[in-house]
Amino acid sequence: MLRIALKGILGRKARLVLTSLAVILGTAFLSGTAVFSATLNRTFDNLFSDVFRNVDSYVRSTQVIEADFGAEERQRIPAELIEVIEAVPGVADVQGDIQAFARIVGKDGKPLGSEGAGPPTFGSVGEEFKGALWTISEGKFPSNSTEVALDEASAKAGKFVIGDRVKVIAQAGSRDFTLVGIAGYGDVRSPGGATFALFDLVTAQEFLAKPGFVDAILISGDGSVSDEKLAQAINAAIPGSYKTETLTGAQITQETQDQIGSALSFFNILLSTFSYIALGVGSFVIYNVFSISAAQRQRENALLRAIGASKKQVTRAMLIESVVVGLFGSVIGLFAGIGLSKALSALLKAAGIDLPTGGLVVPSSAIANTIVVGLIVTVSSAWLPARRAGKVPPLAAMRETAIEVVALTRRRTIFGFVLIAFGAASIVAVTNGASNTWLGLGILFVFSGTITLGPVIARPVALLLGKPAERFRGVTGTMARQNSARNPKRTARTASPVLIGVALVTAVAALAASIRTQIDGVFTEQFKGDYAISTTARGFGGLSPSLADEINLLPEVERATGIGLLTVKIEDRGQYLTTINPATAEGVFDLGLTSGTYADLTADTIFVSEQYAENNDSKLGDTIEVTLADAQVKSLTIAGIYEFDDIAGKYTVSRDIIKDSTVINFDLGVYIKTKSGVSQESARSVLQAAVDKYGQGTLQSKREYIDSQSGQVNQLLGLIYGLLFLSVIIAVVGIIITLLLSVFERQREIGLLRAVGMTKSQVRTTVRWESVITSLLGAVVGIVLGVGLGWVIVYALRDQGLSSFSVPISSTISILIMAFVIGVLAAVYPAWRATRVNLLTAITTS
Amino acid sequence: MNNPSAATATNVSKIYGHGDSEVRALDNVSVQFETGKFTAIMGPSGSGKSTLMHCMAGLDEMTEGSVTIADIDIASLKDKELTRLRRDKIGFVFQSFNLVPTLTADENIRLPLLLGNNKGNEEWIQKVINTVHLQDRLTHRPSELSGGQQQRVAVARALASEPAIIFADEPTGNLDSTTGNEILSFMRKAVDELGQTIVMVTHDPVSASYADRIVFLKDGKIAGELLEPTPELVLDYMKKLGH
Repeated sequence: MLRIALKGILGRKARLVLTSLAVILGTAFLSGTAVFSATLNRTFDNLFSDVFRNVDSYVRSTQVIEADFGAEERQRIPAELIEVIEAVPGVADVQGDIQAFARIVGKDGKPLGSEGAGPPTFGSVGEEFKGALWTISEGKFPSNSTEVALDEASAKAGKFVIGDRVKVIAQAGSRDFTLVGIAGYGDVRSPGGATFALFDLVTAQEFLAKPGFVDAILISGDGSVSDEKLAQAINAAIPGSYKTETLTGAQITQETQDQIGSALSFFNILLSTFSYIALGVGSFVIYNVFSISAAQRQRENALLRAIGASKKQVTRAMLIESVVVGLFGSVIGLFAGIGLSKALSALLKAAGIDLPTGGLVVPSSAIANTIVVGLIVTVSSAWLPARRAGKVPPLAAMRETAIEVVALTRRRTIFGFVLIAFGAASIVAVTNGASNTWLGLGILFVFSGTITLGPVIARPVALLLGKPAERFRGVTGTMARQNSARNPKRTARTASPVLIGVALVTAVAALAASIRTQIDGVFTEQFKGDYAISTTARGFGGLSPSLADEINLLPEVERATGIGLLTVKIEDRGQYLTTINPATAEGVFDLGLTSGTYADLTADTIFVSEQYAENNDSKLGDTIEVTLADAQVKSLTIAGIYEFDDIAGKYTVSRDIIKDSTVINFDLGVYIKTKSGVSQESARSVLQAAVDKYGQGTLQSKREYIDSQSGQVNQLLGLIYGLLFLSVIIAVVGIIITLLLSVFERQREIGLLRAVGMTKSQVRTTVRWESVITSLLGAVVGIVLGVGLGWVIVYALRDQGLSSFSVPISSTISILIMAFVIGVLAAVYPAWRATRVNLLTAITTS
Repeated sequence: MNNPSAATATNVSKIYGHGDSEVRALDNVSVQFETGKFTAIMGPSGSGKSTLMHCMAGLDEMTEGSVTIADIDIASLKDKELTRLRRDKIGFVFQSFNLVPTLTADENIRLPLLLGNNKGNEEWIQKVINTVHLQDRLTHRPSELSGGQQQRVAVARALASEPAIIFADEPTGNLDSTTGNEILSFMRKAVDELGQTIVMVTHDPVSASYADRIVFLKDGKIAGELLEPTPELVLDYMKKLGH
């Protein structure tokens, strides 16, 4: 039987390739993402072991505030510790290290690098040091407050040469420096695409951070003691009151590598989620191909049964075929994936994220995973068709036709409805307060139910969708319509990949549209000014607080106020406080105060949201203990309660709260109200001039600002569209394969039609419309499912402040157009094949 | 032969293969089919009777010679023009698999007209439908029709566009003799009452006896002719040919 199976496979190479195509696509993404992730991890690991190669000890503060999303803010340590450490025996060289926000302004006045998106922009210390992070490749290290060195990539990007004036923006404002050196970082020209401006230690402290403080201290030993001993000695030499810890070079390397690893792991999980979705979609195609091929081989299998093969043997022959297809497809998929990961790197490079180049890493786990998963998916997709193939009665060998049996059982209908009912019940339970885990389960049930019902609804829906084709295309349309409905099981299976892809896209689009509507409403409610200056740099750098003050003094401006975020610890948990300037906020940034006035907000008071007050039973006069990033503890009295917490969150404080601390803070937005009678042109030009002076931030009118805020959701959408694109490709391949097999099955019919006068272009039209109807069937059902799904998710997120559901109308329309285009494209090759049908062999009876 | 010719083959040859393996399926065949007549083509298997029909109907390319249908030389036609010629000027009845399973009987009957976006002559179509007794089967699909009914639909389709000529390839080959005779009577009626021209390929003497004239083929060549045949005459003639 094995020989018969293998002969059968080799005898039909075209079918082998077609079947494998779905496996190849699914596994290629799987291996591609694995290889890409591994390569990325290895690259960063190498980078950091290079960087800390000569650092033997590392001293830093033990005071850390951990905020949401794994962000952490570590306190700075006093620079005087450098002298303490220099005196420790075994220490050869010591350097204070600062890594803070700084942006290099290009010669055209535009800052280098992209704002917010992309790699960060750093300012750091560049000095002669034995454990050097930086090596000067041209010129020298900066030695006074007017000198700067740049990383090689930034110098090249900004076309700077030694001696040029370079403008740099940092927390203390913007300043001009003379470029005296160009430096490399470890072995690379620039670390991970980040930009670096390097200063001497004193300038770095004063310009980037706070005078007298550093972020960490790097120590290079003289080799007389081990790294562990050296670290112990240093730790012992520093008085405990400084609250510091000393790590060895190996420890800090490991920690940094782990941090990068966990930062990348989110990205890895995202990529692999989508690769598994793609594979799942691909399994429908594989299942479909095996089903059709089993149907077309019915007579052959019946003959085998008639001459004495057992059911088991027939089934096994098909399973052997699926193993061959699975192996063949997975191996090709593996190599295609390696190519794909290279393409992904090239794509990132084109997007401006220049990753340090290292060799491609193909972990053996990726090879094993790809082949095993590919094999399992293929064989399990072929399982049912193989069993069905075994059940063929020997008598079928004598029958004239071998077309797939189309029997829709009532059991299927009932089962489908039961699944959907279960799903709906779970979802209703969630809306009534059950745990959100049920939501996922409910969604899964509804999906499975819909797919189960697919063959039942395929016929009526396809007939309905085909109406226009019949209307406008005459008899070719009629035939396309009937063809798409003649085998509802097959049509449903072919449309399923489209359905899944479209449902996911629609759900995400619905979620995004709802978020957009929400953001729009929130900003319209709270932002009362005419202009806004914003920065997309979140959590790292931002607008200098003096920008708002300066704009406030402009004669054209009625009032300007800055809004920022401050990370603190409350009850031992990291929390974000919104910082405002109480003197200027009123009438520009509306908190919706229900008690208290802006004037009540001082360095010793705090405002809380209504929601917070309700949840914590707080009232005016209660105190909240806040620990700032420099470990200073402040007891703040609640002096006001506000309603609008969508932007401000739970806590709002005055920006004066950090005046006597080492903490620095930026504004993330400046809201401006102009005086009445000031023309838009003059307002814009003076405001733009102020922004240009700082070289940071984007000036927008109220409408532009609100649109751009709500438009940020589109970035998320873009990413998800991009990843789902693969599912679309698989859906297209699925349609192509099914159409090809259907065309093959209908050779006689096509031959007859050609004989009685159907032109080649009419043949193509028929195939094309059948394809379009199938694709639209998937899209329409997918949209219905996706909108429902989106509504459920929005409803589940109502506690997170999402209160309105919006149907993504424009996305829905573009999805329908896309489905149409997919149908047309997928039909190109099968339609051409259909015109090649040999007329004579088709009509002459054998 | 007062009637003008609906289809004419002149020195038609059909050669498969080259050199030693060359096979002459048709060897310099010239024949005319008169308008308004029912002609049968007979011959043993491999005699080239089907090939002749295929070449004359524009379904297969001939190697040499020329064919005219309704005064059109088909050798010079491109695929698209040839397809249109089949659609508008030629009717077909095949032995089996004559109908499109997804279309109703009515749609199948009008198929060539629908393909040409042509309304056709409604009066004529109704007359055809009545002639083959299909009035109450029009909304059925082929799978809901008996074999005989399916062949009647096929005959009606061949007639619907009032073609210059109808080619029928063993139209009763898959039917029992009663149903077969019924179909042949309809075809006879189409010639006698509706003035159509039919060329039928068959190997059955009884079927052939419905024709006005029989053309015999053997080894790719015309072997003889018989006018006003009866089954007995046909059998005798076949014996004479060494069948």
